[in-house]
Amino acid sequence: MSAHVRPLLSLYTLNRPELKAFSSELRAVLTSDDREGLARTLGLGAELSARVGKGPRAVDWFLRAETDAEAAPLFASLRRVAKKRALALAWTSAEPSLEGRLRAFDLLREDARVAGLIDKLLDAERLPWFLVRPGATSGWLDSAKREDLAGQLRPLRPSLPKELVAFADALRDLDGDVVAHDML
Amino acid sequence: MGFFDKARQYLGLGGSSDEDEADDPAPNAAAPGARGRDRKDRPPLVEPPAGTGQSVEDALAAREAGDHAEARKILATIDRGKGLRTLLRAAAALEAGDEDVVKSLLAAVAEEAEGWKLSLQLAGALGDPALAAPYLARAVAAKAPAWAIAWARAGSSDEAERRAGLVDLLFEDPRLARTIAARDFNVVGAVTDADATPRYAAFAHGRDSIRRFGAATVGRLVDRAQGGAR
Repeated sequence: MSAHVRPLLSLYTLNRPELKAFSSELRAVLTSDDREGLARTLGLGAELSARVGKGPRAVDWFLRAETDAEAAPLFASLRRVAKKRALALAWTSAEPSLEGRLRAFDLLREDARVAGLIDKLLDAERLPWFLVRPGATSGWLDSAKREDLAGQLRPLRPSLPKELVAFADALRDLDGDVVAHDML
Repeated sequence: MGFFDKARQYLGLGGSSDEDEADDPAPNAAAPGARGRDRKDRPPLVEPPAGTGQSVEDALAAREAGDHAEARKILATIDRGKGLRTLLRAAAALEAGDEDVVKSLLAAVAEEAEGWKLSLQLAGALGDPALAAPYLARAVAAKAPAWAIAWARAGSSDEAERRAGLVDLLFEDPRLARTIAARDFNVVGAVTDADATPRYAAFAHGRDSIRRFGAATVGRLVDRAQGGAR
């Protein structure tokens, strides 16, 4: 029997101008149906370049479900390039229980401000579609909200379990905007 | 514009807002078309007579079978004084040259045409970019959300416009985009999203009914109602 491995939540520093630039480039090649441009943007090899050349519209590939066998490597390439251009791994939790603690630990949930900021950080709906993976936990906070959350967690530190202490420290030590993701 | 739209915009993924306000309602909190209307002030709904068992679908089927008189009879029977039924009843009267009925329904049609929903349904039903343009402009002026405008553009008969609409939809509302791709475009490998399906159904039913009825006639009616309302 194979054991289920729970993913570990990571924090990435976000280069927002780069993400915007990448998003604009992607949008432009899809809108103009520039298949070669799309292949270049995603750094595709010959086989996948040929694949995105097929079909009535380039955008159709990304309207497919991510579980679609033909589209899956294109989604993976998209995330890989977006990550390379705009995200830098800053920290990965050692504890699979971190997300559960963030979502359910009483001390955090009782504080509406803290809970709201955590919920934003773990809300995939707030991320661009090309960084979202089905079943993954992800989200982001801008610099001010990240600092706010780190500041709110500081006085709670003595009462937090170790995975939350490590998370609070990592959040504090980051610079700028932050993306949380467990399958990037 | 919903909170999630704004968060994505903050990441440069559409629109011009760079605010991220936590007190905004979620995008699905209000049904499309609900914006800008004070539903509390509306009179109580007039229920159709019990046991008629008829629907807009029956009226459209009668029209498609060439029986316009029967279609009008059904629409008159099921009309509740507002909504799609009233709109199509008035359009059928306009088509038949029944001015008395048209005049009696114009105020209700004008009310229905408030906001952005009907304008976008009409634009989507018309398909032709030139014919759809004024309705798109009205919807934009009525502050239609970006996803709704993108959806209407995706319904264009012009391939470049349709493609641009689909791309905008993907960036504005990927769940709805994939639902539309699966249902309207039969994109291979696309699947409907359970969360987006109610919104899809609410908007698409009106658009498709208007298209089946004849969008040009409904457009004439709406133009007249809005002209009279001003």
